[in-house]
Amino acid sequence: MSLFKTRDWWSRSVGEEEEFDQGCLCLGNIDNDTNGLDKIIIGSFQGILRIYNPNPSNANSVEDVILEHAFKQPILQLEVGKFSSASESQKLAILHPRKLAVFNVSVLSGTVEHGSQYQLSLLYEHNLQRTAFNFCYGPFGGVKGKDFICVQSMDGTVSIFEQESFAFTRFLPGALLPGPIRYMPRLDSFVTATSSWKVEAYRYQVLAVASETAGREETQNIKSGKKIAVDWSFNIGEQALDLVYVDYPPAQPFIIVLGEHTVFHLTDNGMLKTAKKLEYDPSCVLPYASLRENKVNYLVGAHTKSLLVYEDTTLKWMAKTEFVPVQLRIGNFSGLKAGIVGLSDSGHLEVMYLGTDPSVFTPPQVEAREINFAAMEAEMAKLMKHVKAKSTNSDPTSWLLDDMITPSVKPEDDLSIYVHVNPNLDEVSMASGMDYQDEDGVPSTTVRIQMKSRLPLENVKLEITCPWPLGCTQSEFMIQRIDPGSPSETFVAVFQRYKGLPSHLYVHISGTFTSAAGGRCVIVTKANLPTKLFLKPVFPVKNAVHKITIDTNRPPVNLNDIFPDMLGQNEGGQGSALGFQFLGGGPVVSLLASKTSQRYRLQSDQLEAIWLPLRELVGRLNNHLKKGQGDFRVSFDGALPLQEYFELIDFHFDLRQSNLQYRELLSQRAAQFRTIQKRLLTRFKDKTPAPLQNLDTLLEGTYRQILALADAVEENSQAERLAANNLSSATYLLNILLKLWLDMSDEEFKVLEATLSPIVSSSEDQGWEETVDASITHLLRTVMAKSAKDQAVNPSPLTPPEDTSKVKKHIALFCDRLGKGARLVEGLKENKEKVVKKHSSSSLVEQSEIIEDKTPVDEMLKGKHKSGQKKKRDKTLGLPQRDQPFSENSLLMKEEDDYKAKSRLKSLVPDLDVLTKDMDDMDDNSSRTNDEDDSHEIVYSL
Amino acid sequence: MDPLFMAYSYFRRRKYKEAVDVCTQILERNPYDQAAWHLKTRALTNQVYVDEVEVDEEGLAEILMDDNVIANVSRPGTSLRGPAVKETSGPTQGVRPTSQGGRPLSGYVRPGTQSGRPGTMEQAIRTPRTAHTARPVTSASGRFVRLGTASMLSTPDGPFINIARINFSKYASRPTLAKGLFEYIFHHENDVRNALELAALATEACQYSDWWWKVALAKCYFRLGMYRDAEKQLRSALKSDEVIDAYLHLAKVYCRLDQPLAAIEVYTQGLKQFPGETTLLTGIARIYEGLGKMEEGVKYYKDVLKSDNMNVEAIACIATNHFYTDQPEMALKFYRRLLQMGVYNAELFNNLGLCCFYAQQYDMTLTCFMRALSLAEDDVVIGDVWFNIGHVALGICDIKLAYQCFRLALSHNNDHAEAYNNLGVLEMKKNHVEAARSFFQASFVMAPHLYEPHYNFAILADQLGDFQSSYLSAKRAVETFPDHVDSKELLKQLKEHFSLL
Repeated sequence: MSLFKTRDWWSRSVGEEEEFDQGCLCLGNIDNDTNGLDKIIIGSFQGILRIYNPNPSNANSVEDVILEHAFKQPILQLEVGKFSSASESQKLAILHPRKLAVFNVSVLSGTVEHGSQYQLSLLYEHNLQRTAFNFCYGPFGGVKGKDFICVQSMDGTVSIFEQESFAFTRFLPGALLPGPIRYMPRLDSFVTATSSWKVEAYRYQVLAVASETAGREETQNIKSGKKIAVDWSFNIGEQALDLVYVDYPPAQPFIIVLGEHTVFHLTDNGMLKTAKKLEYDPSCVLPYASLRENKVNYLVGAHTKSLLVYEDTTLKWMAKTEFVPVQLRIGNFSGLKAGIVGLSDSGHLEVMYLGTDPSVFTPPQVEAREINFAAMEAEMAKLMKHVKAKSTNSDPTSWLLDDMITPSVKPEDDLSIYVHVNPNLDEVSMASGMDYQDEDGVPSTTVRIQMKSRLPLENVKLEITCPWPLGCTQSEFMIQRIDPGSPSETFVAVFQRYKGLPSHLYVHISGTFTSAAGGRCVIVTKANLPTKLFLKPVFPVKNAVHKITIDTNRPPVNLNDIFPDMLGQNEGGQGSALGFQFLGGGPVVSLLASKTSQRYRLQSDQLEAIWLPLRELVGRLNNHLKKGQGDFRVSFDGALPLQEYFELIDFHFDLRQSNLQYRELLSQRAAQFRTIQKRLLTRFKDKTPAPLQNLDTLLEGTYRQILALADAVEENSQAERLAANNLSSATYLLNILLKLWLDMSDEEFKVLEATLSPIVSSSEDQGWEETVDASITHLLRTVMAKSAKDQAVNPSPLTPPEDTSKVKKHIALFCDRLGKGARLVEGLKENKEKVVKKHSSSSLVEQSEIIEDKTPVDEMLKGKHKSGQKKKRDKTLGLPQRDQPFSENSLLMKEEDDYKAKSRLKSLVPDLDVLTKDMDDMDDNSSRTNDEDDSHEIVYSL
Repeated sequence: MDPLFMAYSYFRRRKYKEAVDVCTQILERNPYDQAAWHLKTRALTNQVYVDEVEVDEEGLAEILMDDNVIANVSRPGTSLRGPAVKETSGPTQGVRPTSQGGRPLSGYVRPGTQSGRPGTMEQAIRTPRTAHTARPVTSASGRFVRLGTASMLSTPDGPFINIARINFSKYASRPTLAKGLFEYIFHHENDVRNALELAALATEACQYSDWWWKVALAKCYFRLGMYRDAEKQLRSALKSDEVIDAYLHLAKVYCRLDQPLAAIEVYTQGLKQFPGETTLLTGIARIYEGLGKMEEGVKYYKDVLKSDNMNVEAIACIATNHFYTDQPEMALKFYRRLLQMGVYNAELFNNLGLCCFYAQQYDMTLTCFMRALSLAEDDVVIGDVWFNIGHVALGICDIKLAYQCFRLALSHNNDHAEAYNNLGVLEMKKNHVEAARSFFQASFVMAPHLYEPHYNFAILADQLGDFQSSYLSAKRAVETFPDHVDSKELLKQLKEHFSLL
């Protein structure tokens, strides 16, 4: 983030794979030239010393190097100073890990300008006992015209070298890792930053006199020492990266400490002048001048590749650099005064100056477009027309879709799935993990899934979804690779895993893969399962609660012919009656074929159980009879089993309601729990402990309540799922009956299935009842409206209903309208009127006595839930046993278990009466009921 | 070459991975090398270091289990929680949109700018969320855990220091090791409880004289939600030393306690010691902005620029203020400076485009938006850009283009409530009442803090004769924007109408 960038005056990339750090750059008039220009001296960790005399006009970069020398040891730090006792000229001090050496650089002038030759000569060297870290120099003790050296080692000892001679070594107290060290001439003391994140100053005098025993010879190799008193210390609270002593008279000299996140200005006696928090990571600092009184200007190099110029704490200038400098220096060169020299850790050396050249950032070009208005307008018009033509194809009535274009199906998929279901059951059943028992064993069937691909595909995920009570041995497969030549084959055994009635028989198989274009693609197919999988043949039962009769226009067929695979014990019978039982002791469905008329009857104690056998029967009849001659029709002319259907709706709805109530309770308890928690928390946090006042007991109690409620919710939702499944079956049944009854076309049946949806989802906000109600209301108001005044469309928001009376009323009305010839699709001619017949079972209801619900109010919820369970259990109990004649006993049981349902039925009757007001032809109704009675006279024989 | 020297050098050059590797080698040879151990903790810490002052995300649990609230209804102008007060300086809500929490939109997104304070847990959980508005359930679990697990990756063979087995009192008495260890536990391991224990022992060991440990204690207390204890520690630190961090943390504590005026006081006190310190100035400006006192906020942002003229946040906020006070040309200048400084993102180009449009530099408008679109990376931003293009289209009366733009905005960001509202208006103009109604409904369900959809819905219902919903909606509009004249007018009309009945 900067407006400007630094201007490159002279730059070199030094060495290959060499490393540099703080201390490796040094400027000075090392050859003691008379013009006083600075030379750049750098030394790398690889031990190579280079001296440059930068001159941008030199075409050949080699000419800038005035000296290059390779040492065997790494170079840690370089300084230029008056290190020789022999002369006051500038000498070069080099710090190696175990050695300190001072060199003289001399010039031998040649005959031509290029001929000057530079020589490096060793003046003296000190071997170090400890690994060195860095050093500082200065006129310690106030000597004139000389610079002494203080070497700091990695373990925090300082060794003073008075030029050629070693003076003493001292431990700095509390040292762990050494920090930057500087000499402050005014106070004759050293300032350093310690690893306890403090800046500390030590007087030279104190260091010098702190020898252990007077007269003992000073040595570098000390093991212990006196604790040295610190002159002052200042707590900066972060590690110091660099530390510089600033002395620009007449201002008071002070110290700039560069921390990891802050710049501190300290006076030389350890007081904070000011500080500035940095919003970036700094790498180095360099004060260069004091341009205004009492203010100092300094440069900060940052890891964000920028160079910042501060005056005290105010940012004066900011420039982008090409690299992150590890050290900055300022020097005078021929042609450039006060050039900034920066060195990066990979050896990029640059002499630069601050220019007002903006750091030009050229944003990448957005693709330019030629503008030709006429052509564009024509194209636009064409495109709009195209869009319009496409969008009119879709449904014009829906405003949301008015310019949506639905994607057309891809002609060919990369992957295709072929499913083959074995029509016969497995010889050895693969079923496992059932939660029920059946005396004949649970059969299973094998589904063969074959996947072919056009391209080689990798990581194809295959998922098999079975309808609820069914399960399969493995529902997920991961296929590593499918090649076009070799399709993959997978086998899965499907069987009934849970106890319950399946509502449909489709297994959904989906394959997920990544297409060549990179998108995730899903291919879905479904396969039909054989009925044998969960129906087993039993002896038919004579009497049952629910009966459905269907008519055909052909003489009756021998049932043995159309159900050759499901005869069981009935084999060898006359072929006019068959019985099926659902696995796991489910209800028995008996199928009777009339001998005289063209009718078939299905009967069972559970309405929803009839659906699958009916579907099977219709399917098989169609197959069987259509083979020979065409024009075979199945029709239904009996009464729609609406009441029984409503009973199922009620049951499902009750469970939904109780689910809501449980949730309500649960959220109350949860809120209570949180409140108690909060109170307890404040108690515990309080400094003065107060008694808990049994809050802990209350917390525990509430916690248990929550757990119990959660369990109840879980159980309830299990029951709800079962009820939803039954409702789904019954809806399928009702739909197919309506279809047979009215002889609907496929198109109409589609609308019907969409309206009276057999998919009962367990959504909280959009339950089955309200969605079905909404869609039926919509149909009643649109295509089935009687008059224009009914047609007002004002959809109310979808809210969970209070009770089911509305939806039941609407379903009944819907059936009634259908019966009167209303069509579900516009543009078809009206059907001949048919009348909804009330089922005869309503008369049965009146006979049964109603037992009052005596559960107390506070247990109502629980009771309700129990009754749900009870009903489930009773149903299985109340099933008529195979070939066991109706005894009085079982009749009693039936009455008992149905009382609840019947009481509901009764309450439902008035609603229907209200509804029948709409029916104009009540009389006709009664006459029809007579017809129904007539039909009973047809003799069925077992 | 001494390996420890090399590691130290790597550390100084911020090559932490190399530093850790070298230290690990040293420690393998000599497990008791304190210097290497210290260096390794420092390097590991700096890898994941985030300045604690900048971390300011309030989690759901902190908001709801907050037992520091003094009054639920605070006096106007003294709280950051309620909607901004009436007598604010600067443009009204009608001109400058608000964020979800009823605060005026800031020019700079930082943690906490989008925070509103939901009333109950249920409401908070149910707020529509995208990844951008998601609020962590607790601040201890969201961001910090993520940082913690990221750091685990760097040490595949288990954590470097087993904190559970550390003898804290031993380390607390060694000042050289303790501070590094504290930062490691606090930043790298995110184990605030143990960090607190160490800090407490250490501050005892140094006889309560080291401000650093007091600030460290305050940081721990803050994380643990014990704001009053944090305040005590910071006050005590400030008594003996002048530290910028202590001021910043103290002000942060006051902000969390919802005492913005106290926070401003702390900042001003800090400014006396450190004049021109940008972090302090920015803090004041942010609070004023949150309080809806735009004039003061901008004043402080200008002060920030005086000492740091490269401060992106200050430039962006001043530019936003100029834009909303009807000075798009001035805003344009500031945004251009940002562009010159190298800020190069979709948001900036989007703002430039809008400024150009309102400053009547039409030739640049579409180019800017085009760049914004090509730069935008996530759907939310693309949605916003399309929404703004839609605005421009409305401005040049190209209804068709506007319609398409709003729909494009929705196709990128399903939750773009403003786009829903504008689509509703367009549908209303086309006399598609049903569509308009459902658009408005969608809009105000998604963003209850906007007053526009409420008002539009009220108008629509009023036209249809559904006075009850019109009344309710108008009331909601006035609730969210008390000064909206049209809503009040409508409400008055409806009241008269009802009284006639």
